[in-house]
Amino acid sequence: MKDIARQSMSIKVESMDMLNAQIKMEAHASATYLAMASWCEQNGFFTSAKFFFKQAEEEREHMMKIFNFLVDTGGSPISPEITNINHDYASIVDVFENTLEHEVKVTKSIHNIVKKARDLGDIATERFLDWFVMEQVEEENTIRDILDMIAITGTEGVGLQMIDNQVAKWIE
Amino acid sequence: MVEIYRSKYYSLHQAANERAFYLDLGQKTVRMSLCQLLSLRHKVLSISIETHFDSDLNKHGFEVLMLCNKEHLFILNTLEIIDLKNLVEHGFVALGLSAEKETIAA
Ligand SMILES: [Fe+2]
Ligand SMILES: [Fe+2]
Repeated sequence: MKDIARQSMSIKVESMDMLNAQIKMEAHASATYLAMASWCEQNGFFTSAKFFFKQAEEEREHMMKIFNFLVDTGGSPISPEITNINHDYASIVDVFENTLEHEVKVTKSIHNIVKKARDLGDIATERFLDWFVMEQVEEENTIRDILDMIAITGTEGVGLQMIDNQVAKWIE
Repeated sequence: MVEIYRSKYYSLHQAANERAFYLDLGQKTVRMSLCQLLSLRHKVLSISIETHFDSDLNKHGFEVLMLCNKEHLFILNTLEIIDLKNLVEHGFVALGLSAEKETIAA
């Protein structure tokens, strides 16, 4: 029997399902960072707003990377539905703490796909995710550095404005 | 044409010379590409069977299924949906594109 199915698709459908879920997660991250940018703009943290606009763009790029991988492997990428975007934050510290929490969640999700792809023997998907694994290390590190800077600067008096100014260091 | 998998009500076939698949749904046989089969899989596995047991969520226990860019329309009952889910899962295992028969609902 000629293997038309295998000739048309080079990854496992289980990997495809997980990658579609990851597409949704990246899109959700992008929308969340956009909401954070909006909060920062409205509360006078203009440098942080710039930082989150850029983050939002990067998350969309991550989404497209996965989307195109599914196209290249003959899978069926699904355009994600995004709901439940939080726009309420108690402070700029709260915004960055939420960011770190979110990035850790994304890291765990990617590690989980790597492990499952390995179990499935889906080497293409496993290798494809190498870039994401390293990207997450960097993203987590960036946010941790910002939180350290916040801790050192302190939020008393002009602290908040100093914090916002220093975020510029993390916008390349 | 080679039979890939047969469930209680339906069957999936492969026509290698045409590079196509045929899904026999009883009332009608539908010719599909792998892409269309993937899209069918997504639709069928996304159906929440639990709603069929809650009269508020699905009053009549039917599911409308549109295939191949709305070229075909099917109305299936609870048992037929369960059977179609079974065909999709085992069919993809038989095709070598799925490792397990466990459902990963999107
Ligand atoms: Fe990301
Ligand atoms: Fe990220």
